[in-house]
Amino acid sequence: MTIADETAETKNRLEKQVEKVYEIYIKTTPDRLWKAITDPEMRSKYSFGNRIKSDWKPGSRYEATNPGAPGVLVEGENLEVDPPRRLVQTMRALWGEDVKREGTSRVTWEIEPIGDDSCRLTVTHDQLREGANDQLYGGWPMILSGLKTLLETGELLTTPGSLLYANPTTTAGRR
Amino acid sequence: LCEDVTDDGLVFKALADSTRRLLLDRLFERDGRTLTELESQVEMSRFGVMKHLRVLEDAGLVVSRKSGREKRHFLNPVPIRLIHDRWIDKYTEHHVSALADLKSELERNDDDR
Repeated sequence: MTIADETAETKNRLEKQVEKVYEIYIKTTPDRLWKAITDPEMRSKYSFGNRIKSDWKPGSRYEATNPGAPGVLVEGENLEVDPPRRLVQTMRALWGEDVKREGTSRVTWEIEPIGDDSCRLTVTHDQLREGANDQLYGGWPMILSGLKTLLETGELLTTPGSLLYANPTTTAGRR
Repeated sequence: LCEDVTDDGLVFKALADSTRRLLLDRLFERDGRTLTELESQVEMSRFGVMKHLRVLEDAGLVVSRKSGREKRHFLNPVPIRLIHDRWIDKYTEHHVSALADLKSELERNDDDR
């Protein structure tokens, strides 16, 4: 490979946006899964205690706050709202200066019924900068694992994420 | 999916191979690679890499998406998280409490002396 080729490849890679895909199978119905994603009470139980607020209309805004942290932690717009199948949202992380600099990315939730008792949930987080701060997307496995536990057992899963804001003295501004 | 193989079983089996772990590491470094890109990363035939990717996909560790004529492969870390939550947490918790028990047991014996 020539130096020119390598430079072109590096340039190409820097300009390329990154896409992350998370997939999980959950024993539940599409309606229950949709509710768990959009209901603030249920959402907070597996999403680091964050409460999400929105009227879930296409084009409207949403924001997530946490009783254990100051201000809005995440905000964005609902681009597509098609219950109980598909939700597309922009996402701006606001829980720290480093993640604020990453700007706006996009999150797509897709629910697909599998058999007569399960769903495949796919979360695609894209329009991320190559080399973007992994705080932006690193929490998804924990969130989805907690969501599965909540829907399948009704129990809460203790993860480093669920403990993030558990101590009132913690002021770390993460999701 | 075979009926007698659980989801966890498929994940453990998929992870029990160094080439497949190497493929996951390559995707961790840069996600969304095509078969051609992955093939250049390991000393193996295209057919061999395809076979390994198939095992990873069956275990849910790799998700593939059509992109034009090619398929792009994405690392899905969720099944590893599920194993962590289901197995690792359980045993490390016990481990920690066992050590705590040992400590209090040893300290009690010290007092007796």
